[in-house]
This record gives sequence, structure tokens and C-alpha cells, in this order.
Amino acid sequence: MVAFDKCETRPANIDAILNGLDRYNPETTTVFQDYVVQQCEDRTFDCYANLALLKLYQFNPHLTQPDTVTNVLVKALTVFPSPAFSLCLSLLPAHTQPFPTTQEAQAASQTSDFVESVQKLSRLSTLLESAQYTQFWSTLNSDDLYADLTADVAGFEELVRIRIAVEVGKAFRSITTESLEQWLDLRNREALEKFVTDVCGWKVDGTAVSVPTNKENEARSEVKSERVGVDMFGRVIRRGFEQTA
Amino acid sequence: MSYEDRANARPNLNDESDVEEETMANDYREQVNFDDSMSELDRTTSLGGSQTQDIQAQLAAAATPLEYQATLETKFASYDNYCSLFHYILNSEGPVDLEVPSYYWAWDVIDEFIYQFESFCRYRNRIARTGSNEEEAQVLRENPNTWGCYSVLNVLYSLIQRSQINEQLAAIKRGEDPLAVAGEYGSRPLYKMLGYFSIVGLLRVHCLLGDFSLALKTLDDIEMNKKAMFARVMAAHFTTYYYVGFSYMMMRRYADAIRMFSHILVYVSRTKNFQKGGNNYDAIAKKNDQMLALIAICVALHPTRLDDTIHSAVREKYGEQFHRMQRGGPEALPVFEELFRSSCPKFISPTPPDFENPAYNVDPVDHHTAIFMDEVKNTLFNPTIRSYLKLYTTMDLKKLAGFLEVQPEQLRSWLLVNKQRSRQIRWVEGSLLEGDSAISNDLDYALEDDLIHVSETKAGRRLVDWYLRNLARVY
Repeated sequence: MVAFDKCETRPANIDAILNGLDRYNPETTTVFQDYVVQQCEDRTFDCYANLALLKLYQFNPHLTQPDTVTNVLVKALTVFPSPAFSLCLSLLPAHTQPFPTTQEAQAASQTSDFVESVQKLSRLSTLLESAQYTQFWSTLNSDDLYADLTADVAGFEELVRIRIAVEVGKAFRSITTESLEQWLDLRNREALEKFVTDVCGWKVDGTAVSVPTNKENEARSEVKSERVGVDMFGRVIRRGFEQTA
Repeated sequence: MSYEDRANARPNLNDESDVEEETMANDYREQVNFDDSMSELDRTTSLGGSQTQDIQAQLAAAATPLEYQATLETKFASYDNYCSLFHYILNSEGPVDLEVPSYYWAWDVIDEFIYQFESFCRYRNRIARTGSNEEEAQVLRENPNTWGCYSVLNVLYSLIQRSQINEQLAAIKRGEDPLAVAGEYGSRPLYKMLGYFSIVGLLRVHCLLGDFSLALKTLDDIEMNKKAMFARVMAAHFTTYYYVGFSYMMMRRYADAIRMFSHILVYVSRTKNFQKGGNNYDAIAKKNDQMLALIAICVALHPTRLDDTIHSAVREKYGEQFHRMQRGGPEALPVFEELFRSSCPKFISPTPPDFENPAYNVDPVDHHTAIFMDEVKNTLFNPTIRSYLKLYTTMDLKKLAGFLEVQPEQLRSWLLVNKQRSRQIRWVEGSLLEGDSAISNDLDYALEDDLIHVSETKAGRRLVDWYLRNLARVY
């Protein structure tokens, strides 16, 4: 059972604010901001609480801390595939235009660092959500701005790498080391083997990596037949007694 | 929920709703009659008391829509009217004793209050964006707090708290007497109804502001079924399901969104004959079409078997578009966008716009459309993948890439995306935000290097439904 509004690692004081009217109180902004810092440090993620902070910014734009917003977005990247990132975007001001399609929208990123950051991170999100992992790493490494944006989030690259590995494990029974090297951005054979065996628990055999069977990569065919119960005929039988024609 | 449970859930559901159809229709007739007798009663009382005339006029005004062409002045006056009315209701000494104009009044007043908030915000944003009316821009600039989001939320939350409605609903859920926790205010119908509909109002406001998870959270204490209090007022019933369904859709819980939209559309189609001639029939018909469009979008993103009535209604209304979305690919993009734009809520920005920089005031509808379309673009090739894989039990990845005229690397990404999107959180029990991860697709696959193993979960033929339907026809 998953509940979007719950989080195991959430401290009690945050929970109390979220469930009361204090979530609208601008004074709680600092509490949520500290909580974001904590999440960045100890590698946890509390989407529902972060959305509450973005909502406070939405209502009180003068309180907005661009760095905190981008940290929230970067944290949301580490839980793909999930709607977390787009739910965060929904609460940002519309002028950030995360997915610029027009020239004016692209120009907006030149006049504001904040808009540029949001658009850059949205690009990363698109690459992760559409499973273009190779391009994700090359984009990430193509611009120093990304290094700045992700600097506060401890273990960002490793968190993403683990997420990618999890998704690969759900779809593959075996995969070539060549693909994995690119997807995980582990260009050195030793590093790849270490990650794959130590972190994922998979086996490397020459140029193939085999993933143990799990519920997701099994893909078994079956035929589900209809359940027929007497109760389904209740009305027909009842009518049979009612209308004795 | 396992596949088997779901496959079997339908016939049961059908059976239940067949029985309920009759009660539903009766219920509806009862309500309409009830309303008639109430308004007659009311006519006689309001003739009698002349001191209460002033407050009666305010009550009536609060539930009456503004004219379409209302001036800015009227909008400000209307806001002041709401403020003084709610102030009177909430902050008098002790609960006020009011004769409300009709049974539906509480819903109408909350509905109109939020509608005016929504249209005011959109109007203000448009004036700032287009810079078309300097005079009005000046007035708006000088009054940043009129229709402010904090005051609107404050009204709704205060009504909820005063009436102890959440506590009352929680008590009903536990099977206890709500009056025990209702308090001095909440035990009166006026407060209870205002409080209750304020919850639905909050759902709507959060959704308009783009906070979809909080929108769903708001309904924690309300049970979504036909026996809920909102089902007593058709427009409230309708609004609730529309916003819940939409919020689910934005959280990518398409199965839950489809369930919500289907539920209310079936209800509407079954009570349609009783609503004709009703005063909000046009509004309901419009929302009805919007929900059909949203269902079409959800089904395209998440293939599902629809209820027969809904399926034919979607085909009738959006046949061509539905087909194009289901086929996917780049040609489907404009269709998704068009239907989304015409069916989404009128999103608003809660803060006053920047009158100095017109370009800064992007329409919030554009913002949310762009976010939604990003997900559509990411999953655009799922239908293509599925249609090919259905034909094989094993397939070489490079060969399939050749058929599709794409690079193998691209195809691997598509396969991963399709696999990921076929897992979805789906509601089973508890509050609306809860759910279990479920496989929502009958087609599954796994890759062994470049060999795709395809598996299909087939549903056996379903005969009971057919048998029952024909049996009913014969005798």
C-alpha cells in the first residue's frame, strides 16, 4: 500500500504542520526549507512536504529561494519514473515555462537564471522519463550549470544510477555490458562490475550481465477465466418466482 | 487487486448498478420535488418578514451568477458582498438563525463564490498580459487584495472548522452519531451544508491552483459513493467527480481517473431524462462532454475496457480524435493538446500579475498543458509498441527496430517506457491518495539481451454478462 501523503522518514513536527492550517503560514517556510536541506543530505525524499513548500512560495512569491526550488526539483529527479517532478512543476510560476516551445520562451531563460535552471532540469526529467539514459548522462556532463544545480544533493548521480538499474532489472533478464556502461555512465569495466555485483546483486559473465528472475521480468502468459457464482443469477431466479406465467 | 478480481468485478458491478438505477431515478425525482415544495414554502415566509429583507437580498445575491458582461466595479462589489455575508455568518455572536432561500442554496453560494474567484483571477491575468485596458489595470494594481487567494481559502477553511464537518464525517464513518461532535454551529443545517460544500470547494480551488495531491487529500473524510451528501445536489455530485478524476489524471493514475469519470457519466446518462429542462442542464451537458474527452485521453494513455454506454458515447462525440490518440505517434499530439485544453479546469495563478512585464504573465492553462504534454510526448509510442508485440511471442529487437525504422537504442527506450507506464498506482481502499501498484496491461514482456519474450494475460470469454442480457430480453 502506497499513500502519497505519507512518508516514513518524515519527522513528527513536519507531519503536524502538513495536517494543520500552519501549512499556509509563511513562517513555516523556513521549517520546510530546513527539511529540504535535510533530505538533500540524508538522501531521503518527501514529495508531499516539498509540494507544501512550493505552495507557500506560490502564495508568497517574495519568499521564494531559487536554490531551494531547484534542490526540490533535483530531488524529484531521483525518484523517476514518477509524477513527482511534474507535480512540482505545476506549482511553479507559469513564467518559468519549463518546456519552452516558442522563441520568446527560450529567450526568457536568458534573462533569468531561475528560469534557465528550471528549463534545464525539466530537460533532464524528460530524458529520464523517456528512458533515454545515455543522453541523460551526456546532457548532465555537457554543462557546468548542471554540476552547480546538483551539488547540494548528496549522491545525486548514484541515486539516479540505482533508479536506472532498478528499471533495467524489471525489464531485462540479461543485458550486454556495453548497454549498461552507457546507461549507467560507468565507462570503466571495473567500476561497472563492482556496481552491478555489489549494489544490484547481478552476475557478470564476459560481456553479458544476467539479472536474477523477479516478479517484473518474468513475463508469464496465462489465461484468466471468468468466475461464475450463483449470486450473479440472483435477479433472474427471483424473477422466475415472481412471474409465474 | 489481482487481474482475476478485476476481471470479475465488472459483472458484479453491473448487477449492482442495475438495481441501483431504479433507486437512483427515484432519488432524483424525490429531490426535484423536494426542491419545488421548499421554494414554495420559502415564498410565503419571505413575504412575511420585512426586517430580514436586507440579509435575504444578500443571501440571494450570493448564489446568483454575475452577468457575463459584469464590470470590474460589480466584481469588486460582489466580493464585498461575500465578505460581509461570510463575516456575518462566521463571526456573529453565536450561530445565526437564517432562513436560506432554497435547499440548493449552500451549494450555489460556494459554487458561485469560487467561480467568481476563478474568473476574476483569469480576467486580471488577461488584462496584465495583453495590456489592453490601462484604466482597469490601474484599478487592479491598486487593489491587490481583492479576491486574494488567502481570503478565499480562509472563508472555506473557516466554514469547515466552524461546522466541525470533518469531525462529523469521521464520526459517520465510524458509525457514530455526528451530532455528538457537531457542536453549536455544526448541528444547524446552514452551517453543516456550507461546511460540507466548502470541502468540495477546496477540492476545486486546489485543483485550479495546480495542487492535485492536496486536492485529493481534502476529501479524506468524504466517502465517494452515491450515498454521500454531495450526491443530493446534482451539480455538486458532478463537480466533485470531475475534479477528483482530473486530479488523478494529473497524478498519472489513469485507472482511477477513468473509474471516477465513468461513475459519474453513467449516473448522468441514467438520470438524463429527469434533468432536461433543469436550470443547469446546459452546464452539465458541457461538463459531460469535457469528461468524455478526458476519458478518451486517459484510455489512450492507459488502454482499458470501458463501460458500454460510455464507450459508445465517447465514440459518438470524439470518434475520430479517440481513434487518433489510441494509435499514438506524432500525429496524435495536436489531438491530445486540443482535447486537454478544452476539457481542463480554468487554471489560475493565485498572486496578482506583474503589470510592468506583460510577457511575464503566461496563462496558467498554457503552463499546465505544457507539463501534461511532456508526459504525452514521452509515452507517444506505447501504442505502436503494443500493437507490434501483440503479434509475437518472441521477437528480435533489431528486427523490430527495422520494422519501425528506428535505431535499436531508441526501441530499447520505448520498451522501457511502455513497461514502466503499464505499472500504476491504483486505489483499493482507504483515502483517495492511497493505492497499490498494479500491472495495468494484459501485455507484458522481458528482454534477454536482444530477444523480446512477450507474454499475454488473456481473459477467457465472458459469457455470464451476455447470457444474462439475453435472458432478460427473452422473458
